Amino acid sequence: MMRCSKCGEESIIFLHYVRKHLCARHFIGMFEKRFRSTVREFGMLKKGDRVALGLSGGKDSTVLLHCLHDLQKDLPFELVAITIDEGIAGYRAATRKIAEKEADRLGIEHHVVSFKKDLGKTLDIILKTDQSRACSYCGVLRRGLLNRKARELGADKLAIGHNLDDIAQTVLMNIIRGEPSRSRRLLEPLITNEAFIPRIRPLLRTPEKEVAIFAMARDIKIDHRECPYAESALRQDVRRHLNELEEVHPGTKFKILSSFLKMENQSRNSKTQDAELETCFSCGEPCSGKRCKFCEMTSCI
Amino acid sequence: MEVEDLNCFPQHLTMKLILDGRAKKVSHKGNLASLLKKLGVRREEVVVKVNGRLAPDTAEPEEKDTIEVITVIFGG
Repeated sequence: MMRCSKCGEESIIFLHYVRKHLCARHFIGMFEKRFRSTVREFGMLKKGDRVALGLSGGKDSTVLLHCLHDLQKDLPFELVAITIDEGIAGYRAATRKIAEKEADRLGIEHHVVSFKKDLGKTLDIILKTDQSRACSYCGVLRRGLLNRKARELGADKLAIGHNLDDIAQTVLMNIIRGEPSRSRRLLEPLITNEAFIPRIRPLLRTPEKEVAIFAMARDIKIDHRECPYAESALRQDVRRHLNELEEVHPGTKFKILSSFLKMENQSRNSKTQDAELETCFSCGEPCSGKRCKFCEMTSCI
Repeated sequence: MEVEDLNCFPQHLTMKLILDGRAKKVSHKGNLASLLKKLGVRREEVVVKVNGRLAPDTAEPEEKDTIEVITVIFGG
């Protein structure tokens, strides 16, 4: 049996990037401390904020729900949860049920927005003839509905469960695509637009595997089902290569994040004003061009 | 070769493996990381339990242990 580097109890994880074994108690403590220091260092929350959480019922958002709920004991802020039901047969119903159950268990106000009700069609119907851009459609429409609902609920911040793996993959993908500036969106509280609810990512320093282990160590129910729509080939490749690199060179994902933050810091210091968004001429939502992706997509479905 | 020398060779142990719900028997000597490698599973994408308890990949399972490998990272 391997022993915790801190107390000698039975180890549940070996953190290769710091070469330490941790028992359940010390792992949970380290995880929560990192979550809280991330919230503090990035100025993600302040007293009295109304925070809407995008709660899919997957492991990341469910763990984030618990962490934010725990944080409320020390920092008074309001928390509401929003679940987007895209209408994916054999997948979303199970995670939606977890979202409903967990929000109810913690006494958190919970809202469900469905593609079917709001867009008139489920994602399954939208993709019936062409599944090649499944994740683009789903991502744009889901983000659009989340922003609208969060605004309708009077939220100051929109919390999402992106973890370190998601961030490292996105940074690399944007470099590979030749669009490095798109990564700025990962630090959205800097962007100013009344209609856009700033997004916060309190798990951005947390490796995805640790999210799953935290959930298991704390007996938080998670679903191990995979979305039936394959992700973009590029993200799948980047994920695989990153995980292989991490195995050989532990800490790679953290280093990608810290390099990105350093570059952002340098570029921000050389600018005099924050980035601004345009307003879509069609629906009035914030966007980066003249017409938002949400309107572009809904006009085609 | 003397008899003791034979004991220098690693002796493989038989264990029950449950890989994403599918059970089978495996023979292995070494830690969980080397078992995952042998199975072609990326360490970063799974959580491992030994006899129902979370275990670090540095742990060395023993004869008749039940090793559960759960994939926790995939698309979607």
